[in-house]
Amino acid sequence: MRSNPAAREPLITHALAIGALAVAAVLAIDSVMHVLAAQTPFGGPRPSAAEASPSGIVGWLLAKQSEFYREISSTIRAAKSDGSAVWTLLAISFAYGIFHAAGPGHGKAVISSYLVANQETARRGIALSFVSAMLQSLVAVLIVAIGAWLLNVTAKTMCGAERVIEIASYALIAAFGARLVWVKGASFMRALQLRTASPALALASVPAFHGHGLHDHAEHDHAGHRHADHGHVHHHHDHSHADHDHAHAHDHEHGHVHDEHCGHSHGPLPSELAGPGGWRRGLSAIFAVGLRPCSGAILVLVFALAQGLFWAGIAATFAMGLGTAITVASIAVLAVSARGVARRLSGASDGDGALIMRGIEFAAAGLVLLFGVGLLFGYLAAERVTCF
Amino acid sequence: MKPSRLIGLLLLCFALGSGVAHAHPHVWITSTSELIYAPDGSITGVRHAWTFDDMFSTYALEGIETKKKGVYTHEELAPLAQTNIESLKEFAYFTFAKADGKKGGFLEPVDYFLEYKDGLLVLHFTLPLKTPIKTRELSLEIFDPTFFVDFKLADKDPVRLVGAPEGCKFSFQQPNDGAASAQAMGEDNFLSGGNANFGAMYANKITVTCP
Repeated sequence: MRSNPAAREPLITHALAIGALAVAAVLAIDSVMHVLAAQTPFGGPRPSAAEASPSGIVGWLLAKQSEFYREISSTIRAAKSDGSAVWTLLAISFAYGIFHAAGPGHGKAVISSYLVANQETARRGIALSFVSAMLQSLVAVLIVAIGAWLLNVTAKTMCGAERVIEIASYALIAAFGARLVWVKGASFMRALQLRTASPALALASVPAFHGHGLHDHAEHDHAGHRHADHGHVHHHHDHSHADHDHAHAHDHEHGHVHDEHCGHSHGPLPSELAGPGGWRRGLSAIFAVGLRPCSGAILVLVFALAQGLFWAGIAATFAMGLGTAITVASIAVLAVSARGVARRLSGASDGDGALIMRGIEFAAAGLVLLFGVGLLFGYLAAERVTCF
Repeated sequence: MKPSRLIGLLLLCFALGSGVAHAHPHVWITSTSELIYAPDGSITGVRHAWTFDDMFSTYALEGIETKKKGVYTHEELAPLAQTNIESLKEFAYFTFAKADGKKGGFLEPVDYFLEYKDGLLVLHFTLPLKTPIKTRELSLEIFDPTFFVDFKLADKDPVRLVGAPEGCKFSFQQPNDGAASAQAMGEDNFLSGGNANFGAMYANKITVTCP
């Protein structure tokens, strides 16, 4: 009815080209975001020859991090004789966490891209940031508790374990990204086909796309969909295959609106993690990002253990996690707002707006995949665990 | 737009946007280095003594069995020293020599051992040059391009010339004096686009001149 098989092939190439461009655009936005948030060497103001140290915000961030990090060890030592130093330790660790997350790390990038791709809310973004940061802290504590405290293995063994976990985490990000690309690519293509093949129909279905129309199709197939199938069994018999798309879109919209109402009326907590797609999807994002512990936390924990203050090390690790979560959450909110702005700018016009949004989501999904693959194959070598 | 150009564009964006090494140090090393001269006045290699910070020292010592608690002999630390040296290979031992505009390559380290001193680990090792260099000016940079390790020259005697000909002099720059960062900026760290050179901003540069 609306897709002409003959026109499909050039359409697909067209779609891929637009998708690739969108990926490039999002990457460019991502760079800008990094500059805003972290001041990359490229973005940071170039130090003039007269300036005294590696300067700009990068230099400052690095200097602050180093300062806080180095104070952690002396504060742990101090805490051995003076219990009140533990409060200082927590404060320093918290500050270190904030600065640390602003600098390196894939966590914020992956979470932000995921949020954009999956049309998540800022609130859910904040929840994801916090839970993944806490998981990261927990993994660090577990590695040291089991490795160093229980089994007394060498640093080399522990670092090896860290590496394995790291690879698993990167593989998960890649798999997660691949799945997002698959789902988002499909809805992008559908939007494109609707748009190109029949402008009138595309316009008619804009509301469905605008809400959370084709939102995460695969997930809904299992949950909301079955329900709809029961109701529409007779209709389906009469329709051609092409009609399925359209029917689905409507079903989704209803399902989603319902979800949203549930979430809002039951208070923020359940909807944060068990939002559209449920716990399962949120958890996969959390696991992918939070599995990999921070090397800094591991060092602090082993040091605290050697000083006989393991508990203080654990407290410091979670304080770090809290600091990290705040930074990651801020960036996540920024990403979600940026998508909101994009939607307002594009959505006002016509069906193209929906297409642009699908394109952005597809691109963000691609970004998650690229991150995963890049990390896995070591292109982002700076983030790999170094075992000395 | 052709697909190949698109892919190129993508890779470029990827490199710019996410390949950025926002590295930050986790290990601090205080370095002292000796330049070893042959009787004919050529430089044959570099001998480093690198002191690790207390947190990393404690971490590295985790799980190492000793006969006497708190005392680590060279033998007990030998496997760890082995690991250190093997790991450092990937990073070119963080040591970069340049003579008359040409890079000097190093062979695998020799005479390496770990020493446990005042609660800190000190890694000693000698890096022989592939071919001894006889030159008027040699520069030696010690830094981690990824900035995982923060190098600092020791306050006291960070550089020594061993068996150097009469009249040889050295000078050194630390990252926290303006000269070094200006120098690093002028060189290839940003312009080459290779962000791996970010750490060059933090390089410690030793320059030896002989008459």
